[in-house]
Amino acid sequence: MKRFIPFLLALSLLISLPNEAAENAGVIKLATTTSTASSGLLDYLLPKFEAKCSCKVHVIAVGTGKALKLGEDGNVDVVLVHARPAEDAFVLAGHGTDRRDVMYNDFVLVGPNNDPARIKGEKDVLLAMKKIADTQWKFVSRGDDSGTDQMEKSYWKALGIQPAGQRWHYSAGQGMGEVLMMSGEMRAYTLTDRGTYISFKDKIGLPVLMQGDARMFNPYGIIAVNPKKYPRSNYQGATELINWITSAEGQKLIGEFKVGGEQLFVPSAK
Amino acid sequence: MSLSQALFDALRLLWEGDPTLWGIVHVSLRVCFLALLLATPPAVMLGFALANFQFPGRRMLIVLIQTLLALPTVVVGLILYFLLTRNGPLGNYELLFTQGGMVLGQAVLAFPILAAMTLSAVQGADARVVETARMLGAGRLRIACTLMLEVRFAVMAAMITGFGRVISEIGCAMMVGGNIAGVTRNITTAIALETSKGEFAQGIALGIVLVSIALVANFGMAALQGRGGQK
Amino acid sequence: MSLLQVRALQKSFGERNLLDIDALELHRGHSYVLTGVNGAGKTTLLRILAGLETAGIGSYLFDGQTAIPGQLAPRIVYLHQHPYLFDSSVFANIAYGLHGRGLNRQQIENRVHAEMAWAGLAQVAHVRPSKLSGGEKQRVALARARALSPDLWLLDEPTANLDTEARQQVTALIGQIRDANNCVLVATHDTDLANLPDAVHWVLDNSKVDERSLDAGD
Repeated sequence: MKRFIPFLLALSLLISLPNEAAENAGVIKLATTTSTASSGLLDYLLPKFEAKCSCKVHVIAVGTGKALKLGEDGNVDVVLVHARPAEDAFVLAGHGTDRRDVMYNDFVLVGPNNDPARIKGEKDVLLAMKKIADTQWKFVSRGDDSGTDQMEKSYWKALGIQPAGQRWHYSAGQGMGEVLMMSGEMRAYTLTDRGTYISFKDKIGLPVLMQGDARMFNPYGIIAVNPKKYPRSNYQGATELINWITSAEGQKLIGEFKVGGEQLFVPSAK
Repeated sequence: MSLSQALFDALRLLWEGDPTLWGIVHVSLRVCFLALLLATPPAVMLGFALANFQFPGRRMLIVLIQTLLALPTVVVGLILYFLLTRNGPLGNYELLFTQGGMVLGQAVLAFPILAAMTLSAVQGADARVVETARMLGAGRLRIACTLMLEVRFAVMAAMITGFGRVISEIGCAMMVGGNIAGVTRNITTAIALETSKGEFAQGIALGIVLVSIALVANFGMAALQGRGGQK
Repeated sequence: MSLLQVRALQKSFGERNLLDIDALELHRGHSYVLTGVNGAGKTTLLRILAGLETAGIGSYLFDGQTAIPGQLAPRIVYLHQHPYLFDSSVFANIAYGLHGRGLNRQQIENRVHAEMAWAGLAQVAHVRPSKLSGGEKQRVALARARALSPDLWLLDEPTANLDTEARQQVTALIGQIRDANNCVLVATHDTDLANLPDAVHWVLDNSKVDERSLDAGD
């Protein structure tokens, strides 16, 4: 027992040493959505940015609603989300400034191989969604106010359909990955961004049944947290990131990012 | 992918010593260790005071501590978010999304366990301890120290129990830490992330590490409890 | 002048009057053996004198001075029937009371070794206290107290539950404790202890303490 104590002390000391990434200075805190982070784009892009700016970007990946809330509370320096109406409201309310378009990806409708609602090859997303609602075949929804969720809700609204509470509509309240897994298990339809789908396609066995409608394009915006509201936020770092990601270099890299041989994001900064 | 396939991949990942994985383990161990260091002295003193002194509000305090034992970790995380947020009372310390914030959160989680179990340990101490110390001429301070020494194994078991709670919790770590890669990503938040990405092998690998740590801690506890009784 | 003089000691439990003693005197250089049936209150009496339990006490004089029971430790020391040894070592137990008296490390060590030798504990010096036999524990408790040279020893059934050999050892040690300067009060059923040289015999019966003459043929 006596000899154990110095060993414990050495171990404790070793454990207490901070790992190098724990520094706080020069850090840019970026809130984004789980699907954006999970696509791998940021793991690809940010190191190149960090090398240029000699700074560190801390990425906090949460749902769209929470990402914007973090910006609203001043707990991050910059947000990158894909929910235009919410983004505009965010800026209008004075929480953010310098909103820029960054890129867009697209949504696709996936579902069981045998396609009970017969949406395969459909060109009109609203028609496809209507068929699913009419057939009353299972549909799993994000149900978490994320960009994807808001996109889905916009379709139902345009159709004048209220799916909430109907037994074929499952509101999962979870991230895209979980919803895809659930859809795979249940052989259900679901709306998903292409990036997450590519990562999960081998695991769920649901093919893409419908894609390409312009209303399925999913634009991303980057917004700096308003320094007038939160003077202590890293506005300078946020600006550097925004400038870089919308620069020719950043945009080129976005277009070059591929998963499974497929390009996921289309650069769109003006 | 079958469970056995995932398990096999997991073991291979562990064997290869992936630095990211071990970095994640380091975050877990470091935060838990510091949280216990922070929470133990005040909690033990409180437990001791509750066991030995009568004062107004004592019963209420004990009830409060025992209620806090059942508080979901995500609720603690939520409360801490409001405390640590930029405009919040502790916003100036900029602890949100840092390991420091996680340490604070886990200290809050460990505190009720440590206090309640210390209270139990001291109450369970042999009544003759205090009497013997008194008869041998010890003053009040010395009696208190002697008492704590006599129940030290039970207090250490309390620390290990507290450790068990904080190393395996996710709600608070996620809320306060934000699961930032290389900074606040610990074992549990990493498992959540990996499984949400469908990377079950990674999740299992981390799970194996977590269970191993818990096993070691509990072996330690069993050894201590074996030594603690002289009745 | 008596070492301890107590007047009007009363203790009740609920409606039951356990102790009702008009006067009690203990003198230096004397041994007292207190007998009485189980539950008569011997333990309670000793603990009251030691200050470990409260009672109604008219007056309590130690060496002629008014004192408060319990504040005289370790000049008055009470030993439990089953002594509690601290979870450290035999050495640490015996040394316990010696700290804080201005003795240096060597002096403490010497004293502890002396008491260990007196109590015949050299062989068990490195044994963990929880592993000691009943008799060994009693001897450690005696050595632990003796290191502090108490004036008044209150021993509560020190040989109860001990086997024959242990009883003999403990009894022998108790016989050696008393000198011209201190005083020993033993509560016991053990007839061997009752044969302590020059012991005064008391009986606790029906809340009263009476001196009992050995020749009365009880």
